Amino acid sequence: MSRRGRVLGGRYLVLSLVVLAFAAVATPITAQQPPIKIGVAGDLSGAAASIGQAWADAIKMGADEINASGGILGRKVALSIRDTEFKVDVGIREAKDLVLREKVNFLLGGISSGVSLATSTSVSKEYKVIQIASVANTHRQTVELFQRYFFQVVPNTFMEGRAAAQVAAKQQAWKNYYTIGYDYEFGRMQAGAFVETIKKLRPDVKIVGQHWPPVGETDYTPYITSILAAKPDVVYSNLFEAGLGAFVKQALPYGFFQKVKFVSFADVSSMMAVPEMPEGILGYTRGEFYCENLPELKKFTEAFHARYKYYPVSYAVMGYDSLFVLKKAIEQAKSIETDAVIKALEGMTYDSLRGKFTIRASDHQADVPEYVGWTMKDPKYPFVVLKDIVKVPGSQIMLTEDEVKQMRAAATKK
Amino acid sequence: MTFADVVGQFLSGLARAGVLFLIAAGLSFIFGVVKIVNFAHGALYMVGAFLTFSYTKTLGMSFWVAVLLAAVSVAVIGLLMEILIFRRVYGRPVADQLLLTFAMVLIIHDVVRLGYGSNLRSVSRPPLLAGAVFMGDIIFPSYYIFIVVVGVAVLAGFWAFLHKTRLGKTIRAAVGNREMVACLGKPLPWLFTVAFAAGVFVDGLAGAIGAPLGGIRLGMDFDIIILAFATVIVGGFGSLPGTALAAFIIGEAYSFGIWLMPAIALSLPFIIMAAVLIVRPWGLLGRSGGGEL
Repeated sequence: MSRRGRVLGGRYLVLSLVVLAFAAVATPITAQQPPIKIGVAGDLSGAAASIGQAWADAIKMGADEINASGGILGRKVALSIRDTEFKVDVGIREAKDLVLREKVNFLLGGISSGVSLATSTSVSKEYKVIQIASVANTHRQTVELFQRYFFQVVPNTFMEGRAAAQVAAKQQAWKNYYTIGYDYEFGRMQAGAFVETIKKLRPDVKIVGQHWPPVGETDYTPYITSILAAKPDVVYSNLFEAGLGAFVKQALPYGFFQKVKFVSFADVSSMMAVPEMPEGILGYTRGEFYCENLPELKKFTEAFHARYKYYPVSYAVMGYDSLFVLKKAIEQAKSIETDAVIKALEGMTYDSLRGKFTIRASDHQADVPEYVGWTMKDPKYPFVVLKDIVKVPGSQIMLTEDEVKQMRAAATKK
Repeated sequence: MTFADVVGQFLSGLARAGVLFLIAAGLSFIFGVVKIVNFAHGALYMVGAFLTFSYTKTLGMSFWVAVLLAAVSVAVIGLLMEILIFRRVYGRPVADQLLLTFAMVLIIHDVVRLGYGSNLRSVSRPPLLAGAVFMGDIIFPSYYIFIVVVGVAVLAGFWAFLHKTRLGKTIRAAVGNREMVACLGKPLPWLFTVAFAAGVFVDGLAGAIGAPLGGIRLGMDFDIIILAFATVIVGGFGSLPGTALAAFIIGEAYSFGIWLMPAIALSLPFIIMAAVLIVRPWGLLGRSGGGEL
């Protein structure tokens, strides 16, 4: 060997050893882990536009918070937000695109129960991608059309209808009911659950009529006059947002709210759409920021308001919860692998903005509460809020596992 | 079911008819004269509503001034659209015209979204019209009386314009025989511009007057466009009395349908439309071979 070769060999050896040592130490810092992709598919336009927007805003804020504090399992969260326009065909198309082309690891959504149910059965189930719903709440998602990739952290239509009925049943003078609900999945299921429950609790109650206006109806006058003609004691409604606003506006000149009692959605999004909402209405909601006196909820509300300049509605609260529920499940499973995350989610107890809830393993429904109270003006806010709130706990309104089994069996028989 | 109930339902139908007529009148008139199907019609209606919001809430004008100003503003927008864009496609195939007006819909929609965001807006009825008229058991909100009055005024106004003014008569002549009118030296393009602006004025007026009825939001253009077309088809393209009759029939059918036959109430306007198209394809008061204003 020449003298030159030996010197070069030595230098190269030392250099390689140094580089290797450096690489071994530096790997965790310089390694690029791909982000965790989450598809966020909801109705950002259409009949539930402001609901969807608030929900998406909260999820965006949550993702930024997660990324600022190190991500999930050291990986950043990348959101892909799509507008499903309150249309089933658009919903399926967008969800498929998220799953097949963008290859998202998880789906959050939807808003419209119709769209969400379609996404669950056609996309989540088909392509084995976990979908967590925090607004769309038809109970068929966890009962008759349950599939193991679907999770729900919002009270389902049965729970919601039941909660409203439990409180309404206590009003002894309320005997004749008229219902008005939107003619689609959510409207029909929720009003159906209310009617079933109120009849059970109060056999003396009569349903004197039912209206099913189409989603997006803007002229409720013929509905209003025919309801008044039937002279009910109470009108139960699941109208929301712009539709509810139009209904109230058009009903007021008829002295509607002096003539009948009204039970209505009272979420902040809908109340913002109805500046003329009267006081003393029995309102139900899934968890507005003023419903609980919890520090995490307060912190969230202040952060949301500071960033977006409007108050977070319950759908924003639940959307945020759904993202962090997913985070906890991934961390618990120590992986984003679908079956592992499902295992982590089933039976998981999560300390949410609304308090602790547990996701039941048999139907993936969280035992979340519904809040029922009486509308009241509050000078602090540009919308009507609820007072004398009754928190109906999830355990009181959830379908029992037997009931779920029975309903599923009945559905397969048809 | 009492007499009061029937009257009540009739009046709701009348209210709906009034709104429908205002929405459809501009569409019918523009087609009758300019022979363009103005898809942008719904979008201009929406602009009328949003402008009413801005004029009352942001600029603090009185309701009445705001409504008039909104209608005029929309007419100006329509005028610009006609002069700059539509004029160039009069001779072109219908498909080109449809595509162009539809493109306007999307452009207007996005401009409104940029200007107002996606949030819901609200305008209240003026205090004078916020209450209702009571006749025993029967209640009729005053605002609907106002709408019906405006509808009648629009109908009467158009009739007077077309039959009593020189310009109006010339426009009717141009509809009947374009070439002859051109031969007589009348400036055809300007006639059509005036007609277009008049039709679009009513669009904006409908949006402004309709604004306090419900919410003002993106998407309200699509909400009304289909019913507007159905009304015009049933009444006869180009016939304003026809549009009024159609609006009345559809409004009452809907109102009594919701009360008595809820399962088919929503399809009633379209069942009627289908029936009319089969029996009298040019509409109830239209004329075979073209509209008679």
